[in-house]
Amino acid sequence: MRSNLHIKGKKLWRACTCLILGIMLACCGEEITGVDQPAAATVGSTVPITVHINIPTAGNGGPDYLIFGFLVPKGWKTAQNAKITYNSEALGGGVMTLLTDATLPKNGGGLTWPAYMKKTFGIGANLIDDMEWVAYQSEKSYTHNGNTFTGDILINLKVGADNNNTLVKLGYVITDSGNGFTSDSNGTYYSVVMSKTCFEVTGGSGDLVDFCNPQLTIVDPPKSLDNDFVTLTFDGNVADTPLSGKNELYLCATAYTSDGKTIAVCEQTDKTKLVQTSPTSKRYRLTFWPKAFFNTTDAQTITKMEYFVTDKAGTTKVGYGNTLEPFVYTFKCG
Amino acid sequence: MKKNYNIKHVLLLLMVVLMAASCKTEKVLPQQEALKDVSGSWQVISATRNGTDLAALVDFTQFRISFDGTGYKLTNKLPFIVNQDGVFTLDDPQYPYKITFTATGGTAVSTAFTYPIVNGKRQLSLTFSPGCSNNSYVYVLQRVN
Repeated sequence: MRSNLHIKGKKLWRACTCLILGIMLACCGEEITGVDQPAAATVGSTVPITVHINIPTAGNGGPDYLIFGFLVPKGWKTAQNAKITYNSEALGGGVMTLLTDATLPKNGGGLTWPAYMKKTFGIGANLIDDMEWVAYQSEKSYTHNGNTFTGDILINLKVGADNNNTLVKLGYVITDSGNGFTSDSNGTYYSVVMSKTCFEVTGGSGDLVDFCNPQLTIVDPPKSLDNDFVTLTFDGNVADTPLSGKNELYLCATAYTSDGKTIAVCEQTDKTKLVQTSPTSKRYRLTFWPKAFFNTTDAQTITKMEYFVTDKAGTTKVGYGNTLEPFVYTFKCG
Repeated sequence: MKKNYNIKHVLLLLMVVLMAASCKTEKVLPQQEALKDVSGSWQVISATRNGTDLAALVDFTQFRISFDGTGYKLTNKLPFIVNQDGVFTLDDPQYPYKITFTATGGTAVSTAFTYPIVNGKRQLSLTFSPGCSNNSYVYVLQRVN
């Protein structure tokens, strides 16, 4: 049975709520009012992004510096590849300088600014934890004196330093050096915007790094060499595959070595078995040391691995994007 | 009156003697910090990769590293600071905080380590990156009985 909610003077209530919300939002604390970000770019190109900001102030605090944080894939090496400036009629223009580990936020509990940002906001809706917050600070400071500053933060970022095609949801946060990610009776001193849409980088020669879409398999750590332990997880929740309903899954992999050899390990034994993380999780994983798994010699290094996930018989197999093309993992650090 | 005067003198003298006698040079025994002996065979009792516990994911029970004199030997190898047997040195045998492994035919690799006593047993905690430098591993080792 469905009941309709009847509120007398519905429109009036709505108007009041909006007004109150409006007053609250317009009160105090830094606010991102919008982000102009292109939808796509090519590897190596410089992308302009504009973050519109509004800083209503109250009381008589400060002077504080404007802090800006930018959530990006680690592989882009943003600290070296971005130039960030700000422009505000009231504050004037200037450069946002990169914050080093030497500058600790006042309310960060001993963390650095990037660590404080990651702890507070995580990596947004991105699915691979290979992202970083890069933190900047304005050249000039401002006092909290009841004035409102509006302006723009202008980013010029050379994307795709790792030469990988990428799908990622970027993130932006502003606050001030005196308050950090806190709220009090004067308002909330920060504002965070996490992109809902995926920013796409194309034209790279590396692998596709997809932070946006759930993947059938993920490899942890995202960047590793053959002398790391790698954990490969097959997520049966992402899509229905020919392996749905099978509860014993195995890895069937081929390694490509630096001396031009290929080594295949395609067997259904304990060595290759993916173990379900919990009885109904449908997530199966295997942790292995590639050097030992493929039994390489000391002189050989593995450059990449192609793999499928199979059933116990080894006859049903699933590859990249639920096809019969293999998944590919490249062993590299950058 | 004279008698009193004498007693005062005697008391004063006695006090001076007593006070002088109470001053004694205390000899500090030279406390020699024991040399840290890492010899013996060690096994991994806990391990993490970038903070993630590896104990449930990897079988560490067979891996051994044994120190003997200046040499070390690896058995049932796993990703480690070095992949070959060789020699090791501690930067300071009394207060070591760095251990250096030199695999036969390889270059020296140093790593920070701590050497705490937990539940009455020495542990050896090593932090290193066998693959990408961004991937950090911590192995805690204990002597095999």
